[in-house]
Amino acid sequence: MNSAENFMQNKQLSDQADKQPLQQLLTRPDIWQLANRQRQPRTGIGSGYRGLDALLANHGWPRAATSELLVDKAGIGEMSLILPTLAQLTRQGRMVILINPPHIPYAPALVQAGIQLEKLLILHPRGQRDQLWAAEQSLQSGACGALVNWQGKESPADKDLRRLQVAARDGDCLHFHFRPGSSADTPSPATLRLKLQSDGEQLAVHLLKQLNGKSGQRLHLARSPDLVRRDQPLH
Amino acid sequence: MLWLCIQFPQLPLEALTRAHRAGDQTPVAVSQGNLIQAANGAARAHNVCAGLTIPTACAYCPALELLERDRERESQLLQQLAQWGYSFTPVVSPRGGATDKSSHTQPAPGDDTACLFLELSGSLRASGGLAPLLQQLRKELHKMRIQHVMGLGHSPSAAHLLSQLPEHRQWLAETRAPATPQQWRQWISFAPSKLLDCSHTAIAKLYASGIKRVSQLLAIPLSEVGNRFGRGFIDYLARLNGTRPDPVPSYQPPPEFHSELFFSSPLDNSEQLLFPAGRLVRELCRQLQRRQLYSQQLRWILDYGSRGSQEINVEISRPQLDPQRLIALTKLQLERVELREPVQALALKCQQLRALETQGLREDFFDEGSNTHDSYQLIDKLKARLGHQALSGVTLQESYLPEQAWSSADSLSLQSRPRGHQLNPINAPRPSWLLPRPDRVQQRNHKLFYDGELQLLQGPERIDGYWWQHHRHARDYYIARSEQGSLYWVYQDLTSEDWFLHGVYS
Repeated sequence: MNSAENFMQNKQLSDQADKQPLQQLLTRPDIWQLANRQRQPRTGIGSGYRGLDALLANHGWPRAATSELLVDKAGIGEMSLILPTLAQLTRQGRMVILINPPHIPYAPALVQAGIQLEKLLILHPRGQRDQLWAAEQSLQSGACGALVNWQGKESPADKDLRRLQVAARDGDCLHFHFRPGSSADTPSPATLRLKLQSDGEQLAVHLLKQLNGKSGQRLHLARSPDLVRRDQPLH
Repeated sequence: MLWLCIQFPQLPLEALTRAHRAGDQTPVAVSQGNLIQAANGAARAHNVCAGLTIPTACAYCPALELLERDRERESQLLQQLAQWGYSFTPVVSPRGGATDKSSHTQPAPGDDTACLFLELSGSLRASGGLAPLLQQLRKELHKMRIQHVMGLGHSPSAAHLLSQLPEHRQWLAETRAPATPQQWRQWISFAPSKLLDCSHTAIAKLYASGIKRVSQLLAIPLSEVGNRFGRGFIDYLARLNGTRPDPVPSYQPPPEFHSELFFSSPLDNSEQLLFPAGRLVRELCRQLQRRQLYSQQLRWILDYGSRGSQEINVEISRPQLDPQRLIALTKLQLERVELREPVQALALKCQQLRALETQGLREDFFDEGSNTHDSYQLIDKLKARLGHQALSGVTLQESYLPEQAWSSADSLSLQSRPRGHQLNPINAPRPSWLLPRPDRVQQRNHKLFYDGELQLLQGPERIDGYWWQHHRHARDYYIARSEQGSLYWVYQDLTSEDWFLHGVYS
């Protein structure tokens, strides 16, 4: 009797073990399942903007993948698009890494946005090679919740972008890659590509590409009312 | 008391050739003055042995590589061995080779040998008995490639004497338990009197009077012996017998680690350094683990001989005793080093060893666990390749001046918990990017231009202070929008009435 029970248990165990690789495979963000879509909605990480979440396939930034943000002009609200997400991650105790930010990340503003400064690490690697190395190591370490990097003067090769995407998947890390608007014409392995522009008053988001979801939509997000409130300057 | 004496007959050679790869077949000998002091296996196969003159040795073996004896390196190596011994027992005493070599007429083998005394009675239980402990000691010495001869006794003098007795060494290799006091005396009386640790003249005198074994000497009344050989000799015999305490200087390990490998043929490729570096790191880790210490920094010193040296620092943010990880961090640094000259010696120095705290360990197990651990490893890796200065964090500062309201923080403070005193930022919209240096805004016909015309939305917010310093800061800050829709933080300097861009609302 004992041996029969054992046998049954073993069989169940081995069945579970057999199923596991398939489960692992199905959780990969780049595999699109039509049948399971309604049953198992994989959630993204909420961006903090309801309108944007509604457009994104998993109601948020894609987990463990690269999101490209194409921006030409600084100051149109591109950081405020991801700051709520970064703040949420640091509050959960995850590390957030900025690689070669264009200017000094200003601590008072970051704290106002809710970021825990002790979880924020800023890297200044010199040269394209070190930059990519640092990005890849941080992404795949599994220690970091989100990594934000800015494309330097030269555009990284397609294979480097692919490596970053794979590293983000391995390390389960959010990856935001700021690139100039001109790179919209060249294909990219990123899961999500957003083109950010300003229409004068608001931030205009154009969804260029989205795996597992529709693309081509446009969205207008208002800037924080504190900033654009018009009082009459004395000057 | 149970004393172990480990003699290192080949120390002069090992101090210079320890870095050689195993299985190196070059015959090597160490010379001092005109005499060979020690020779390696390959040289001994050509009949080169200690005591030969250099011309004779070269005649025996033309390919012989001669190295000058280096007393300093020898004593360094002995210190390292003492440190190693300290990890087995707290009572350790190193004894260097006799330095007043000139007073001896003839170099006798054995009396110039450096040795190490270990008191083992307190360490038997921890290592599971005498045999496993000796086994462990032999294994590690073998790993360090140090030739050794061991002797066990009830006093340091006895252990030293017995280590030279081949029959005793035979017994030691097989024994499971230490001998009784009776047996020690038997071993001692069995020993030939030439092994006694006294001057050559005394030994010659002993032989002249027909005393060939210690037993014969002990049979003579002590007063007689004292008349002939002096008080010092009687003292020595008493210490040998265990009737008088036998003090040896006790060794205290320095609170730092220092180990060095010397290459007799210099290395000119940084990749070749990895192999010896790995050995040093393993030595370090073994010792740190035994003494329950950790180091926050590995300091590598590449010695270019007479042409100076170069230092490489590897920072470690977290107690780390895993040699593989330390080697990986070192490798990241060594890969990037350009060797200026061939390297003659590689040294590893760790100053300021700290005690492993149980609290740190507990944090590891129960707190955020592997997550924190991972981030420390990542930070170490980044630091090793990018350099210390490439990593930073930011913190708030208490200041009204915008450019002083933040400061760059050491990335080491990253994981620490928020401290009691929390600063709160000012309650006004602040830009997420600050320009390191305010950028000039053009002003024409009462209009502002920065990449197109600027339109002021809000303001002013007046920041006026530091009038007591040389440079008064009086500024009116505004939020402005450019033609392309960017929001900027601009100010007018009230003293000069010029306009500047200070931040970007990104």
